[in-house]
Amino acid sequence: MYSKTSGRGRVLERLGLDAGTAGAYGHANPRGANPVASTAIEVSNLRKKFGDLEALRGISFAVKAGEIYGLLGPNGAGKSTTIGVLCGLVIPDAGTARLNGLDVVQNAVEARRSLGVVPQEVALYTELSARDNLTFFGRLYGLGGRDLSKRVDDALALVSLSGRAKEPIERYSGGMLRRLNIAAGVLHGPSVILLDEPTVGLDPQTRASILDLVRAIAAGGAAVVYTTHYLDEAERLCQRVGIIDHGAILAEGTLAELRRAAGEREIVALRGIFRPDQVPAAFARAEDVQIIKANEEELLLSLRSAERQLSSLLSLAAGVGEIREVAVKQPSLENLFIKLTGRELRE
Amino acid sequence: MREAIVIARHHLKRMVRTPGLILLLLAIPITIAVIEYAAFGGTAARGKLPPVKVLILDEDKTIASSAVPQVFAGGPMREFFEVAAVESLPAASRMFQRGDASAVVRVPKGFQGALLEGSDVAVELYKNPTQTFSPDIVESVLEMVTTIANGLYARAKEPIARIKALTDADREPTTADIAEISVGFFLAGRRLGRLEGLEDLSVEVQRPGGEKSEGAMRGPKPSEFFGTIFPGLVIFALLFISQALAFRLLRDRVRGLQRRLAITPVARGSVVAGGILYILVGLLALLVVLGLIGSLVFRIELREPLALLVLGLGLVAFAAGLQLAIVAVAKDDRGAGAVSSIVVMVLSVLGGTFVPAEQYPPFLKSVAISLPNGAAQQGLVDVLVHKRGLVDLGAFAVTVWLWALAALAAATWIERRRLVR
Repeated sequence: MYSKTSGRGRVLERLGLDAGTAGAYGHANPRGANPVASTAIEVSNLRKKFGDLEALRGISFAVKAGEIYGLLGPNGAGKSTTIGVLCGLVIPDAGTARLNGLDVVQNAVEARRSLGVVPQEVALYTELSARDNLTFFGRLYGLGGRDLSKRVDDALALVSLSGRAKEPIERYSGGMLRRLNIAAGVLHGPSVILLDEPTVGLDPQTRASILDLVRAIAAGGAAVVYTTHYLDEAERLCQRVGIIDHGAILAEGTLAELRRAAGEREIVALRGIFRPDQVPAAFARAEDVQIIKANEEELLLSLRSAERQLSSLLSLAAGVGEIREVAVKQPSLENLFIKLTGRELRE
Repeated sequence: MREAIVIARHHLKRMVRTPGLILLLLAIPITIAVIEYAAFGGTAARGKLPPVKVLILDEDKTIASSAVPQVFAGGPMREFFEVAAVESLPAASRMFQRGDASAVVRVPKGFQGALLEGSDVAVELYKNPTQTFSPDIVESVLEMVTTIANGLYARAKEPIARIKALTDADREPTTADIAEISVGFFLAGRRLGRLEGLEDLSVEVQRPGGEKSEGAMRGPKPSEFFGTIFPGLVIFALLFISQALAFRLLRDRVRGLQRRLAITPVARGSVVAGGILYILVGLLALLVVLGLIGSLVFRIELREPLALLVLGLGLVAFAAGLQLAIVAVAKDDRGAGAVSSIVVMVLSVLGGTFVPAEQYPPFLKSVAISLPNGAAQQGLVDVLVHKRGLVDLGAFAVTVWLWALAALAAATWIERRRLVR
C-alpha cells in the first residue's frame, strides 16, 4: 500500500513510525522497554467498577507491532474504559495492562512515552495554528529544537496540512481538524497508537483518507487499537477484531475467524408487535431456525437461507404478532455481533 | 517542572492571542476609579465638599427678608452652600428636575411686618425629592439658625419695637436712633449667650485609614484618593480576571484537551502545576500592569516594593487557587460562572471593595480584614497611603497567605483526584 519509498512512507519513516525502527526510535522508545518485543499491548483480565456498575469484567487481549486491532462495541460496552486504562486515566481494580512491557499503572509516565492517542473529540487549541498545536504537544513529549521543528513539518505533511500550517485552526473544516487530531497523536513517533472512533461524523471521502492514513501508520510498525461503530471500517481496516459488550470481550479473532464463527447463516430481523412468550413454541417446528432475540417489538432469527425459508418464517411470525418491517442481513461481522449481543452495534 | 513551565507558557500564549475579555476586565478598575474621581475626587482634593445649592424665593422683598439668604451665604456657610434667587415655585421645581438645586426657601409676603408686630411667621422649606442628603443638610442648617434667631428675637424686643415705631411714623432714623437700636441688638446678643458657641464651631475630617488629618477641612491629595480606592478595585478586577483565566481551563476540559494533556508522559502534578503557574503568572503580570497604570495615571506612589510584592503575590495565589478549585468541582462553565461570581461578589462586599471597611460596624470590620481580599486591600492602602512597611503589615500578609495556601492546596487536591478515576 505505502512503501517506504513513497512520499507518505518517507514521512512516516522520519516520524519514527517505520516498521524497522518501531519501538526503538528516539523518544518513542521507553526506558526499560524491550525494543524487540513483538507484543506491544498486553491487556490481561482487566476489571473495573464505578459504584455498582461493573464497567470491565475481565478484559484480555494483545496487539502486536504493526497490527491493527479493532475494538467493536456499542455505547457503554467498556471500550472507553479500556482505552482509559491504557492511557493511565482509569486505574483498574484488578488485572494488568502493559505497553511495550511497561505496566501502565506502575510505570505510568514511561509507558505513556510510547503511546499516541487520537481521541474521538477534536482535542486541539482552536485559537492557535496547526504548527503551534503540534509544537506544544511535541514539547510535552520531550521534543525540542530542530528535531521538533522537523517532526512538526513531517506530521503536517503526513496529514496534508503543510500549506495551511500557520492559520488558526478555527478556520479548518471538520476533516482537516480530524487529520490534525491524528497528527497530534502520532507526532512523537509512538509505537502504540489508540484511535477512538476517529471518523465519526465525516464524509465518505474524508473517512477513506483517514483509513488510508491509519493503514500507513500501522504499516510503519506501530500497534494500533482502533475503536469504531462502523463495522465496515473494521472489516476494511483491522487484521483482528475484539467484540466487546457489557465489559467483556465476547469474541475475538481475525476477520476470517470471526466470519467462520458467524457461520454462513443469515439474520432476519422482524419488527412489529409480538407476543414473545409464544415465540419459542411457534418456531419450534421451523427447520434450522435459531431465535437470537424475541421481545414485544422485535424478533431476531438466524437461518441458513432467507431466500428458501423466509415465507414459512413469516407465516410463523404472523401467528405470534403483527409484522411491520422485515430486514435480511447477509453473513457478516455485523451478523456475528448481533448473534453475540442480541442487538445492533448502534443501539 | 519543565513540563509545568511548557504548559503555563502555552496557556499564556493563548491568553495573549485572545486578550479580549481580559482587557475588558482590566478596564474595570480604571474606569470605576476615573468615575469615582470625577464624582468625588476633585472636590475632595481641593478640600471642599461639593456646594449645596439653595434657592431663595423672596416674596416679601424687605430688609428683613433680604437677610434670610445670609443664613447660607454668610461667614463659613458660603463654603458649603451656593445661594441663588428664584422667581417662583414652578421655576424652582424645574430646577429640581434638572438637579440644579437641592432646596428652596420661601420667605412669605408680610415676613418683616410680622417680625415687627411680634406675631408668628414661618419661612417654608421645599426639598428636592430627587436628592437624598443635600436637602437634609439645608433643613438642618435652617432649623439651627431658626432656633438661634428665635432666641435672639425673644431678647431683642426693645430694639425691634424701636424699628417698628420708626416704620409706623414713616420717618428716617436719626444717628441716635441707629445707635440705640444697635446697642439693643448687641445687648440681646450677649444675653443670648449661646451665640458665642458659634465661634467654637469646627469640623474634623476623618481619613479613611482611621487617622485624623493634619488640618481641619483639608481633603486628600488625588494620589491619596486613588491610593485609597484603587487597591479594592484592582482586587475586585483580579478576582474576575482569575475567573476568566480559570474558565479557559474548564473549557479545555470540556473539549477534551485536559484529558489529552493527561495522557502525555507528563506527571499529573506537572499538569496541575502548569495550570496554576499559568494563572499565577498571568495575574501577576496584569497586577503589575494595573500598578503601573495606578502610578502613571493616578499618581499613586508605589512605595515599599517588598510589601507590595508579598501582598500582591499572596492575593494572586489566593485568586488562582480559589478559581481553580471552583473550576475543578464544576461540571460546566455555567455552574462554575454562577458559583464563582457569587463568591467574588460576597468577598468584595464583605471585604470592603465598594464601601471602605472603616465604615463597617466593628464585627463586620473584623470580618473584612479576616478575608483575603479585605486584608490585602487594607494592607495595600496602609502601604500606599499611610506609608507603612512590610513589618507593620504582618497580620494582613499572614491572613492573605494563609487563605492563598489553603485555596491552592484545595485546588491541587481536587484537580489531581479528578484527573484519574
